[in-house]
Amino acid sequence: MSNITYTSINEDVLHSLKPPGKTWWISLGIILSALGLGIFAWTYQIMHGMEWSGINHPIGWGVYITDFVFWIGIGHAGTLISAVLFLVRAPFRTSIYRASEAMTVFAVMTAGLFPIIHIGRAWNFYWLLPYPNQRQLWINFKSPLLWDVFAVSTYMSVSIAFFILGLIPDLASVRDGCKSKLKRFFYSIASVGFRGTNHQWLHYMRGYLLFAAIATPLVFSVHSIVSWDFAMSSIPGWHTTIFAPYFVAGAIFSGCAMVLTIMIPLRVAFPGFKEIIKVRDLEGMAEMILMTGILVTYAYSIEFFIAYYSGAKFERALFWFRPFGELRYFFWLMVFCNCVSALPLWIKKIRTNIPALFFISILVNVGMWLERFNIVVTSLAHDFDPFAWSMYKFEWVEIWITVGSFGWFFMWFFIFVKIMPSLAVAELKEALHPPLRRSQ
Amino acid sequence: MKKEFSGVWATFEFLDDMCFSIKEIRKQGIEKITTHTPCPRHEIEHALGNPQSRVPFFTLFGMFVGIGIGILLIITMTLDWILPVSGKPVVSVPVMGPILFELGVIMAIYCTVLGMVLLILRDTKKHSFPTSDKYKNYDRFMNDRFGVVVPCSKNEVDKVVEIFKKYQAEEVNREA
Repeated sequence: MSNITYTSINEDVLHSLKPPGKTWWISLGIILSALGLGIFAWTYQIMHGMEWSGINHPIGWGVYITDFVFWIGIGHAGTLISAVLFLVRAPFRTSIYRASEAMTVFAVMTAGLFPIIHIGRAWNFYWLLPYPNQRQLWINFKSPLLWDVFAVSTYMSVSIAFFILGLIPDLASVRDGCKSKLKRFFYSIASVGFRGTNHQWLHYMRGYLLFAAIATPLVFSVHSIVSWDFAMSSIPGWHTTIFAPYFVAGAIFSGCAMVLTIMIPLRVAFPGFKEIIKVRDLEGMAEMILMTGILVTYAYSIEFFIAYYSGAKFERALFWFRPFGELRYFFWLMVFCNCVSALPLWIKKIRTNIPALFFISILVNVGMWLERFNIVVTSLAHDFDPFAWSMYKFEWVEIWITVGSFGWFFMWFFIFVKIMPSLAVAELKEALHPPLRRSQ
Repeated sequence: MKKEFSGVWATFEFLDDMCFSIKEIRKQGIEKITTHTPCPRHEIEHALGNPQSRVPFFTLFGMFVGIGIGILLIITMTLDWILPVSGKPVVSVPVMGPILFELGVIMAIYCTVLGMVLLILRDTKKHSFPTSDKYKNYDRFMNDRFGVVVPCSKNEVDKVVEIFKKYQAEEVNREA
């Protein structure tokens, strides 16, 4: 029998908002150091030019675009968990969705930096928007890159709105539980006067349901559009209709893995959360990883099959190059991480083993970064004309910027867990049996 | 100017007590009831007669506005500087799809938020609330207590208090 009550949920959340301890400060120090490396490297690149980024001719897209697609993928799981699993009433959603939503917002914030870093002249980033940049020349509406600008900015706006909307009742709970006047003042403003009246709940819940209904197709559209950045070109390895569903499955795969990477330490950091974020909730995530991992494996094999079956020489050459060319180590490591490492999750004992889940989630994250690297770099390195074939050489600047992006992402997450409720208080209460006199 | 409040508010530990009391108060012909709960509960909606929200109309309106803006944006900008691409029509409908979808979604979301805020403000304005500090500072509604506010005339107060007591309200406060 669970000991969770309305009051215990409030207490656990309030406990997580207490002033941070030594471990938190040390971790934040490490995170800020990583961020510092990234900021330094980006400044260096701005001062010395894009030659420090590792991109060359013909590999015009390198680690930055890989990072962009990786972080957008991570950002997928939050909205999937909040919206899609809300609509289908998945029971394991309630305890983990708040942290996943926060993860989405911070991941999309991180992803949004990479096109700006990639363009080199970051100060001209607004040329991406519908703005007549030179000689009154408007942007090209037929380009999937422009669709991506709309998709990513819409996704970010909706994710932020969804996140803030979900937070309002919980901030009101925190406000009412605060002893300090200053904190109470802060949370009063943040909760915009929410007091749980029937009028507030009625419109709030209807709005929330609509948000979920609208956000669901958005989850699928955003990564489909990201995939069209590649698929609408004629480069071998990119020009394929399987890309949209393949990218969506991959994004859910990596996003769910990142949810585990974040939730497992969160559960350890706040012991009260162990009763709320149950092993069966993590198991639900593991099942999602297993399913999407199989979809990703299927997509990999279909790509190879179609390259063979189509008889297209350039496709065949590219798909020979990926596993047996100079970049083969990246390919085989990707296959191990994405296709093999998740297979032990078929066994319930492993699905419910927390250290194993954490380890697998890290492997999947690594694998999904490598998948994007394989897609972006190998196709460009080995396209139609052998004269133009090239190799990719990593530069320290792009590696440091990638490390810095993790620092940026985790910095926001660390701040979030200390100032905002990282559990969805109202929804957790809604999932409990209400206190009834007549059932006693 | 502050609205004068005349009526009763009570707090409950148990949800079913509160629902029974609401039903009985509504039988007395009092409909303008406000409840406080830590989380949304369908039992209360049923007790209050299943009121409906009009937020979806705002969402639908926003979706149409977004799609309309998208069509205008693409057509005017494309025609302002003709940029032929691969022999495709200058104004091409299929390529509008992703942008219309994204703009439709974003405007629908903004209008949903706007609709929620406006409707909550309208309902809050329509109902009167106790003005005492005790009510304003009561901090368990978002924690673990259920509350009911019933604005009523002075001669109805006793009847309402009696109903609350019958269903074992934890606290009953008269304000007139």
